[in-house]
Amino acid sequence: MSYSDKVIDHYNNPRNVGSMDKSSADVGTGLVGAPECGDVMKLQIKVNRDTNVIEEAKFKTFGCGSAIASSSLATEWVKGKTVDEALAIKNMDIVKELSLPPVKIHCSVLAEDAIRAAIGDWKKKQESAKPVTSAVAQ
Amino acid sequence: MTSLTEITGKPAPEETQSCWSCGTMRAVHFCEACGKVQPPAPVDYFTFFALPRKLNFDVAALEKDFYELSRKLHPDLNARANSQEQEWTLQQSSLLNDAYRTLKDPIKRTQYLLQLEGVELEEQSKTATERARSTGEIKKQIVPPDLLEEVFELNMQLEELRMHKKMGEDDPALIEEIGRQKLELEEKQEALLHELKDRWNMWDGMIQREQNGQPVSEEERKQERDKMVDLLNRRNYIRNLVRDVSEVLESS
Repeated sequence: MSYSDKVIDHYNNPRNVGSMDKSSADVGTGLVGAPECGDVMKLQIKVNRDTNVIEEAKFKTFGCGSAIASSSLATEWVKGKTVDEALAIKNMDIVKELSLPPVKIHCSVLAEDAIRAAIGDWKKKQESAKPVTSAVAQ
Repeated sequence: MTSLTEITGKPAPEETQSCWSCGTMRAVHFCEACGKVQPPAPVDYFTFFALPRKLNFDVAALEKDFYELSRKLHPDLNARANSQEQEWTLQQSSLLNDAYRTLKDPIKRTQYLLQLEGVELEEQSKTATERARSTGEIKKQIVPPDLLEEVFELNMQLEELRMHKKMGEDDPALIEEIGRQKLELEEKQEALLHELKDRWNMWDGMIQREQNGQPVSEEERKQERDKMVDLLNRRNYIRNLVRDVSEVLESS
């Protein structure tokens, strides 16, 4: 099996590798894994509270080339999108973009999971923050 | 030539047909009457070795059957058979090797049984994602979050160690720390195998009850399957970690 040029490009020059402050109220963190291969992927987003736009995205993945490329692409794609737009990203979009072979589809699944988990974490933070702001407003 | 049934004393499976050569009832691999090799039947690996679909069995007996059959299926012994028979011998031989390799390994055996039970181990993550997508909920991670955290942290440390080495630096404290974690991981791996064997007993007990005529609900069956799937998933991670940690430590 050979990797596509796009996978190799993302693998050699991964975009947005790194991490952000997990405890920040604007940051959502998703840590996911694929039991099929034992990979782990962490994806973080920083969301503008007023516009719901994802302004920053970082990832760190331990896994095969396809998993790294899938998460690298995912961070590129979510940046500049609103949270709802980012939720519309499907794993098959990643499969197509990177020309992943069938045995590597689970890597794209992992990337979609990571986006959803990060957004879910961010949303949870916003909900738990709400009562505080309304209390202040009163 | 003796048949497998004579060697092992096991009854031939019910679905045996008549021998292509002499027409009498045949055993799975060789005819009981004339000893001719038979075309491979489309059976699962348990049936191939005349075993019930249970997870505990006598591995020494399996090994004995395997060597006995390997010997009988050896090309040298069948050099004078016609080309069709030689082809069947080859097919039987390949099936024998696959079946033996799968059944003798505790993990592969469990995976295989789950596969026969309709569990798609390769598809579980995708299935869960599709479910989460359609309900809009956050996907329930198949592996417990604390294990994922641990895997992630350890991988970070391994990466750090690799970086240090690239720069030609020595980091004895980190090596010691990772060495300690390696031992813990190996213990965990061992513990998971024990846990898996407990699940085997539960599974076999359930199958036995079913054979005794007590109905087993689909729910119970699913519960038992799920517990084994969970163990195999956790084990995948631990196995990868042990492998990666060993690699890094060996090169330091």
